[in-house]
Amino acid sequence: MLLEAKGVSKAFGSFYAVRNADLSVAEGEIIGLIGPNGAGKSTFFNCLAGDTSPTSGTVSLDGVDLTGSTSDIHARAGIGRTFQVPATFEDMTVLENVVVGAYLRHPHRNDARKKALEVLEITGLAHLADQRARALGTPGRKRLEIARVLALQPRLMLLDEALAGLTPSEIQRAVELLRRIHGMGITLVIVEHIMEVIMTLAQRVIVFNQGHVIAQGKPEDVVKDEGVIQAYLGRNHGKRRSGA
Amino acid sequence: MLLLQVIIGGLLTGAVYALFSAGLTLIWGMMNFINFAHGEFVMLGMYVALIVVTSLGGGPAVFSFVAAGLLATLGIALYFALIRLVIRGPMMAQILSTFGLALLLRYTAFYFFSANIVSLPNASFGLYNFGGILVPGSQLLSGVVAIVLTIALHLLLTRTFVGSRLLAVAEDRNAAMLMGIRPDRMQALAWGLAAASAGIAGSLMAMSYPWSPSVGETFGLTAFVVVTLGGFGSVPGALYAGLIIGLLQALSAYWLGPIYKDVVVYALFAALLWLRPQGLMGKV
Amino acid sequence: MKIGVPLLALALLVYPFALNDPFYQDIGVAVLLAAISASAWNIVGGYAGQVSVGHGMFFGIGAYVPLLVYQHGAWPPVLGVPIAIALSVLLAQAIGYPTFRLRGHYFSMATIAVAELIRIYVGTVDYLGAAIGLQGPAVGRGWWDLTFRGELPYYYIFLGVLAILLYVTFEVQRSRFGSYLRSIRANERAAASLGVPVRQTKLRALMLSAAFTSVAGSLYSIKTGFVDPESGIGLLVSVQMLITAALGGAGTLFGPLVGALILVPLQSATNTWFGGSGSGLTYIIYGGIIVLLARFEPGGLYEFWHRVSMRWRARHAA
Repeated sequence: MLLEAKGVSKAFGSFYAVRNADLSVAEGEIIGLIGPNGAGKSTFFNCLAGDTSPTSGTVSLDGVDLTGSTSDIHARAGIGRTFQVPATFEDMTVLENVVVGAYLRHPHRNDARKKALEVLEITGLAHLADQRARALGTPGRKRLEIARVLALQPRLMLLDEALAGLTPSEIQRAVELLRRIHGMGITLVIVEHIMEVIMTLAQRVIVFNQGHVIAQGKPEDVVKDEGVIQAYLGRNHGKRRSGA
Repeated sequence: MLLLQVIIGGLLTGAVYALFSAGLTLIWGMMNFINFAHGEFVMLGMYVALIVVTSLGGGPAVFSFVAAGLLATLGIALYFALIRLVIRGPMMAQILSTFGLALLLRYTAFYFFSANIVSLPNASFGLYNFGGILVPGSQLLSGVVAIVLTIALHLLLTRTFVGSRLLAVAEDRNAAMLMGIRPDRMQALAWGLAAASAGIAGSLMAMSYPWSPSVGETFGLTAFVVVTLGGFGSVPGALYAGLIIGLLQALSAYWLGPIYKDVVVYALFAALLWLRPQGLMGKV
Repeated sequence: MKIGVPLLALALLVYPFALNDPFYQDIGVAVLLAAISASAWNIVGGYAGQVSVGHGMFFGIGAYVPLLVYQHGAWPPVLGVPIAIALSVLLAQAIGYPTFRLRGHYFSMATIAVAELIRIYVGTVDYLGAAIGLQGPAVGRGWWDLTFRGELPYYYIFLGVLAILLYVTFEVQRSRFGSYLRSIRANERAAASLGVPVRQTKLRALMLSAAFTSVAGSLYSIKTGFVDPESGIGLLVSVQMLITAALGGAGTLFGPLVGALILVPLQSATNTWFGGSGSGLTYIIYGGIIVLLARFEPGGLYEFWHRVSMRWRARHAA
């Protein structure tokens, strides 16, 4: 197992955003994480990435316990993540953005720059290298975030709705990029609402609702699961279906 | 006996601290924004009291009302003219905006009122004797009113319709918009309330203590310490913390000397930062 | 930019001879001192985006220690400079360590509180000169006391220090450290997710900034031969650094120098026009400028120039 999250809970006061969530990801997998809005997926990601400390439970990568450490330590261990709302460095250029990530494994300026340019080629952003990040639209920013994380040479990437708001052709390009990244040996955990993406990319799907895992399995199976449908559409809809 | 008097005096002053700090914590909790000029709002409230008393001859009922009205207007105007725009920008702009405002207000006050220490003329409400403990009527009045208003603010936020809308915006701006609440209006209202609480507190404070324009800086820091101690966003926390700090100040002045009155606030702040930044009741 | 820098350097070098009048030379020295202080502030306030409003405390340590070693040990003041730097760096760590794990406002408030605390404390301790302050050697015992009669030697010493500071800043800007600083300023959370050790990086920036600010303070007290709590640690000192850097462009290499070139002559002019009340009016103007900068152009003149030239270029490219 590459990533192991056991019994992760995150409470804000008395409200539990994440309750006793488990996740095991083997190296090389592509996992889809789905669930209705407010189910706690982003908070769970934040716990996995070190953005917040879980109230209880453990997170470990390759056997190394990362629970409670800051996100820079998680990054150094090999976990990279993108944000639901793009968090690019607006006033820095596209190249400068990626260089920040590249510096992790390449502490010297010239090496970092070279690595960053490589990554820009892979992600198709090379022609925008000297543009300020704020000049990019949302799809560009999302792609830039992915490039930045790629420069970290992570073992695992957590992608939080990286494809939201993209047009169908942009989605196709993004899926190709993700496949390429996966081909480089990087394990992916993807939060998405776009079902087609999950169906085509994910080998295994995990369903979140109200803070914990309610189902998991192959995409085709999970989608047909009664509990999953109820979670998305509400109990009444489920009842109406069974009554009809 | 004297000690008890000091304690009571400290608590009553602390109550006024709680009132103006409640305004600061409201803004902080709601918009994640620190108003570095909050102390200046208190200072302005004090001068409003002075002007009302000397030119209109009104009493506390009049000048606290006027202070509330004027400062609320200032707060709302500032929200629309300045705050609303910088809050979406870089952190530096946010900090600079109210810091610059503090300088502007403070030194404009110096310009118009000079650095002379002033106090309210004939601000005597008698001296009350509680079994040997002497409490000036002005202090008693301001302390009690401050506590009542702080509790009223808390009830406004938690028990009224308007309050729930304010809290909704604080909780989740986008969700609030979807529910038909106008975040801008609510935030402007919060600024009006915060400034008004500072203004009233200032006018109450003017009844008991002399001041000059430099008092804004001290009050600003006091408010920050109270809010840090009480936990940001928590009005009840501000009440407890305000009382504690008022008490601490009074005891330090009594035991160590008057100059330690301010020093103890700064020192407490430093201690909080090192040991317990989340304060008594809130989150960091 | 490429020809601009050598041109600027040349202009600064010949200035005291071009305007061979003590009045102008004095302003030149003041500009350089303001530029040094502001550039030092710029490292943590501009590049890292951590707004310190109490940097006067580092300036004050730098100003006080040399005069202290002179007054109490009869040493040449300049020997106090490294001691002051060490103390400033220690203070920087003491303040930064707890506050840099919290959100930005705590740091800003802490700088105000600690600076005030130090100012009040120094004003009460006789050993430190209390409210009267400290004085340096009235007449130099030798060249090492650095009591020059003219402005010129000071001018070139200050210019040398500024050059060193700007060079250090330039190297920082190009390095990994500088990249990390800017990422922290842009989005701390994202920076951390990319492996940036946020707390340590901020701390290093503050320490570096404190060291250079301390040097600026030392230069000040060695030249004027006098310091008191107000001139060394007062709020005006902190505000001046901040506004000088912000006006020119916080987070840019030459922003602070540009700010100094504008504000110092301006302040000198307003002092002449408004006489004694100049100081109060100065704050009002400063406050107003800060608010306007925050509201309209937080990036300062540098950003303004950038935007204007972009628009000009766009209009003339079509």
